[in-house]
Amino acid sequence: MSDIISVKNLVEVYSDGTKAVDDITFNVKEGEFFGFLGPNGAGKSTTIKILTTLLRKTSGTVTVAGHDISSGAPAIRKIIGVQSQETTVDGDLTGRENITLQGHFQQIEGSKIKKRVNELLQLVGLESAADKRARNFSSGMKKRLDLATALIHEPKILFLDEPTTGLDPQSRVAIWSYLEKLNKEEGTTIFLTTQYLEEADKLCKRLAIIDFGKIVASGSPDELKREIGADSIKIGLENCERDRENAKSIIKTMTGVKEIINSEECINVYAQNASSLIADIVRALDSLDIRLTSVTFSQPSLDDVFTKHTGRKIRAEQLVKAPSAMFGRRR
Amino acid sequence: MTLLSDTGYIFVRYLKKLIRNPILLFFSLFQPIIFLVLFTQLLSKFSSLIVLPGGSYLEFATAGILLQNAFGSALQSGNSIVADIDSGYLQKMLVTPVKRPAILLGRLTSDAFRVVVQSAIILGLAYALGAFVTTGVVGILLIFFTIAFFGLAWSGISLALGMRTRSSETVFAIGGFLTFPLLFLSTALFPISFMPSWVQDISMFNPISYAVNAIRVLMTTGYDWGTILPAWGVIGLVAVITLGATLYQFRKVVS
Ligand SMILES: Nc1ncnc2c1ncn2[C@@H]1O[C@H](COP(=O)(O)OP(=O)(O)O)[C@@H](O)[C@H]1O
Ligand SMILES: [Mg+2]
Repeated sequence: MSDIISVKNLVEVYSDGTKAVDDITFNVKEGEFFGFLGPNGAGKSTTIKILTTLLRKTSGTVTVAGHDISSGAPAIRKIIGVQSQETTVDGDLTGRENITLQGHFQQIEGSKIKKRVNELLQLVGLESAADKRARNFSSGMKKRLDLATALIHEPKILFLDEPTTGLDPQSRVAIWSYLEKLNKEEGTTIFLTTQYLEEADKLCKRLAIIDFGKIVASGSPDELKREIGADSIKIGLENCERDRENAKSIIKTMTGVKEIINSEECINVYAQNASSLIADIVRALDSLDIRLTSVTFSQPSLDDVFTKHTGRKIRAEQLVKAPSAMFGRRR
Repeated sequence: MTLLSDTGYIFVRYLKKLIRNPILLFFSLFQPIIFLVLFTQLLSKFSSLIVLPGGSYLEFATAGILLQNAFGSALQSGNSIVADIDSGYLQKMLVTPVKRPAILLGRLTSDAFRVVVQSAIILGLAYALGAFVTTGVVGILLIFFTIAFFGLAWSGISLALGMRTRSSETVFAIGGFLTFPLLFLSTALFPISFMPSWVQDISMFNPISYAVNAIRVLMTTGYDWGTILPAWGVIGLVAVITLGATLYQFRKVVS
């Protein structure tokens, strides 16, 4: 399969000097479900804005469906569907009118629009509310409507910027199932950003982990977890600052230990035979008079992948609406 | 062709937004109507002090109130674009192939349409109170044309400001700051012979005076092209400047 999105050495520096995207390179294959996983402020939205022709890149090369992003923007806009992070539906229009208007913008013939709008209303489960003003929709309904507007022209590539952030679990699961269906049945390429590990794990065939504007790891969720190659033992120490180095040096000598990193608990130990190591670790630390507050054992998750590469935990934060930051000035 | 249809879709969108917020529409008409009723009653003795074109103060002032309303509406135009930027709706349009100029044209045509509808309401009320348009139907159409043209020219200021500052408060503040001096230092509400000479001087250069005078002659005297054509010229000049600024800001936003 060929690359439908190709990004090389992309850099974005905002006019205030913020380097939001710092030399990233990645590609997305046609028909793929690709994810960008990263905490708030990592540079996900900035990347999406560049890929969807809303923001001009500072440097690098980007092609979408074979079109260069700088010279081919009009061609790109015909084949992409975009759902931005902020839900954008017109509250004064009904659900049906919102989708129909988007169909007009996409230059779809009048006769076709009607049928397509009905299909979409059904897909996102909004038939009964279709003729009510979107102003009165719940936030989950608005997100679903927003998604429907992005799908009106059966886009080849769908860009979704945190499509489930802030949603209740039911709405989230519903959106996940439309997206999987869309990707499987229509073959739509999907580029999704998220702060939720379980979302990336569940949906994405391949993902890139982004932090402070840099891609720190990429691959399929399984590959990334396998890369850790070991189970993890998270150890919390009562006096982390003082005892951390001592503890690390003694654990390092134990057989089977692959890697030890600093973490928020205090120390993460990656080891092949983690379950049998726990007893040894507890005993060894006890003999050194290092007090434990917690020991947890787990098989590798994307959380470990993120922690391994950044030393931090990913934390999905509630969104703070900041309109001024939503529309980057282009240069 | 798509430019035309895209403009149409965006025009209809704004129209629906307007109609579905009748309270907003009512309040923007509220002030001109109060002016029409109260002012013309309070100042009805004016015509016994000086000779007014058309005779009554009501007929004199209707032109000024029409312009005041157009001015107020035009200054709200910028808020709509700020709202679309803040909500992300502008960006939503910009990721589609929609023709860029249509976004601006749709807004401007809906502004023009709105001000004509409001003007028709004011003229209807003035008629009920006893003010006639002497030039008849053609004259009324010319009045509507002049007001719509005037509205577009002044919408440009608020649109440019809205896109530049991205703040509806700023647009409101500057709009309010402009309204009163421009209106009161013009021939909108008071005859020129009634003003101290320094106000007369300012009023001569005030673009609002030109537009008011053109509408006033159409209402009260007849087709006085010597007043109407210069007014269109002045409005055109204002339009070139303000819409030029709008276009400049718009290109910065969408390019
Ligand atoms: N218009 C802007 N001007 C300046 N800095 C911005 C702007 N938009 C975003 N940023 C900054 O760029 C960084 C990346 O932001 P963003 O791409 O929105 O991250 P994410 O979507 O991953 O949360 C953040 O530090 C953010 O504050
Ligand atoms: Mg974001």
